[in-house]
Amino acid sequence: MDTPSDSVSAVVGPSETLRQDAEAADAWLSVPDEERSIRRELREIFHDELWRYRGLAYELMRRDIRVRYKQTALGFAWAVLMPTFVVLAGVTVRYAMAYVGGRSLGIADLAGIAIKALPWSFFVGSMGFATTSLVGQANLVTKIYFPREVLPLAATMAQAFDASVGITALIIAFTLLGIRPGAAALWAPPIAISAFLLTAGLALLVSCANLFFRDVKYIVHVLLTFGIFFTPVFFEPQMFGVLGARVMMLNPLAPMMEGLRFSVVLDHNLLETVVVQSRHGAVLAWSPWYLAYSFVAALAAFVVGLLVFHRAESKFAEYV
Amino acid sequence: MAEGLIEFQHVWKKFRRGELHDSLRDMVPALASKLFGRKDREALEQREFWAVQDVSFSVRPGEALGIIGANGAGKSTILKLLTRILRPTRGRCGIRGRVGTLIEISAGFHQDLTGAENIFLQGAIMGMTRREITARFEDIVEFSELADFIDTPVKRYSSGMNARLGFAIAAHLNPDVLVVDEVLAVGDWRFQRKAFDRIGEMVNRGLPVIIVSHQLDRIASLCTHCLLLDRGRIVLRGAPDECIAHYVTTGMQPQSQQAEALPFLVSGVEIEPKGALHSGDWLTVKIHGEVPSSPGPDYHLGVRVRSLQNAQVVFTLDLTAQEPSLSEPGTFDVTVDLQLNTGKGYFCIETPIWNSRERRELSRGPQAVTSVAAAAFHGGTNLHPRVKVVTRPALATPELWSDSRRVGGAS
Repeated sequence: MDTPSDSVSAVVGPSETLRQDAEAADAWLSVPDEERSIRRELREIFHDELWRYRGLAYELMRRDIRVRYKQTALGFAWAVLMPTFVVLAGVTVRYAMAYVGGRSLGIADLAGIAIKALPWSFFVGSMGFATTSLVGQANLVTKIYFPREVLPLAATMAQAFDASVGITALIIAFTLLGIRPGAAALWAPPIAISAFLLTAGLALLVSCANLFFRDVKYIVHVLLTFGIFFTPVFFEPQMFGVLGARVMMLNPLAPMMEGLRFSVVLDHNLLETVVVQSRHGAVLAWSPWYLAYSFVAALAAFVVGLLVFHRAESKFAEYV
Repeated sequence: MAEGLIEFQHVWKKFRRGELHDSLRDMVPALASKLFGRKDREALEQREFWAVQDVSFSVRPGEALGIIGANGAGKSTILKLLTRILRPTRGRCGIRGRVGTLIEISAGFHQDLTGAENIFLQGAIMGMTRREITARFEDIVEFSELADFIDTPVKRYSSGMNARLGFAIAAHLNPDVLVVDEVLAVGDWRFQRKAFDRIGEMVNRGLPVIIVSHQLDRIASLCTHCLLLDRGRIVLRGAPDECIAHYVTTGMQPQSQQAEALPFLVSGVEIEPKGALHSGDWLTVKIHGEVPSSPGPDYHLGVRVRSLQNAQVVFTLDLTAQEPSLSEPGTFDVTVDLQLNTGKGYFCIETPIWNSRERRELSRGPQAVTSVAAAAFHGGTNLHPRVKVVTRPALATPELWSDSRRVGGAS
């Protein structure tokens, strides 16, 4: 046979232009997972990925917002309607509680529910969309390179946009109700940031877990449906007594919600402790340590979320 | 920014056949075995296989590397490793500089968004900043020829419009390195031409380029180097012509036809000259072979020229109809001069054997590949052959021949 197979051996092997390069350790080279250090991973996450692709996160957020309200009759009104339903549910529950307790429901109670309904619907919405953000966009994950962190982060950011629409509506409502927040309301922005970090961190974890195990989306669904009973949205932790209040505050979302209520609605400086007397003794309704705890939890969730996500990222295209 | 560079250093990639564990129930035993049985990552477990094995290459500015090979050879895996969608099991690989990937050019589109909105989205996914996209927006729209539909949701686009928009965005990325995977089959013929020219433009600008394609003539006209892959290994590296010829002559052989005893045994096909030709040039084809025993009138040996672009046969000649005929046992040498008045492209010269009564082909025979580089047509008859057949009949009585040899051996 006269196939060129005889001539193959002559050309196989590195030719002049195809020889290896000396700068093997350069950062732009992709190496097996086992050969990567934590330092390298942190630089990858914060410098090569999040910073460089911030524009992509922004575009994806815009897409998520646009898509959500395309072909909807009510459009952006949905961003206000969703938390409004939560507030109405809360008012219903609180009305029953007040009736049984023989008290009446004040404006401050309503405002407290309203301001806590916002972060809750932000949290629920973010987790819901983030869970399927990777699996639902498998065509992107398997076909184009970009840091996959931006997908759950963009889902969270789009919800943050909705929340900001809600905040605007809330400010208008508060003005109409005659509630004038004082200087303590300056606590709201740092609390909002920590709520965002906590949600984003959990969103990263949940989206990546759901990529490997589709069980996760059912678990998340259940947790979100019943989570409102373990989070002080409709009620206040001090209603649970001396020990109950502290246990309730272990939920990192709880100090954020209570912090918003105390600072914005009650104009209470969050650095000061609040103790409420009840039939069973003195209940610690607020302590600055609650807030410190939830800030630390938020930051930890964000960093751990990023690290775990980044670690798993290289397997996404193979497992999705 | 340092100039672009593509590196692939002794890369291995392991894949797994069948289902991966997908729910918690399956994961627990898998995790347990991972925790307690510290396995070597280089060893192949059950159902695993190497999709890429010890592949090394690099592409520098001014070079364009083509990768060819059958389906499953590992071409797309290599591109996914390069573009960091997959991570290597062993070795290192990567691209320095900004990567322009002409792969899945419309994967990031959201069907509910308009063309204009998708330009910003897809551009960002490909790594452009908002400012860059704004600056090139007009050019992108003009290149895509979709100005009238740019505010229409992409879900109302035809697939050709989709592809045009995707290519237009990718073409305006202004990358340091270009990676192309089989996207030339986009849009209508005219847009394909335009897309192809655009890629050629980027290649000529001196970017390092890597192209994966089954359109061999595209590889040949764009690339400076070529790799031929088979089941994850590099079979051949060299000039595109060389790799394509090897791929076509070894890869296109029909399987399982060796079972039947053939009436003609073609031992070799040689072509002269060996390099690329121009339209109208003469190509000399030399065929050597043997007729083992009288084949009978139904069996024919021929020369056939087939375009590799579309597998169309452009020329056939029945050698058994020539003088002297190949009907007697013996060896033969056939010289056919062909004037290749064809268009540009690759042509495979085959030596088929067929049975005219049963209307069936027994073998496509040994082959050779030639290419026509320039498409200017010359005068003269298309592929007009000049044929010369030389036969050396075996001795009329083989018994006598073998007897005499035996005698010779004894003395």
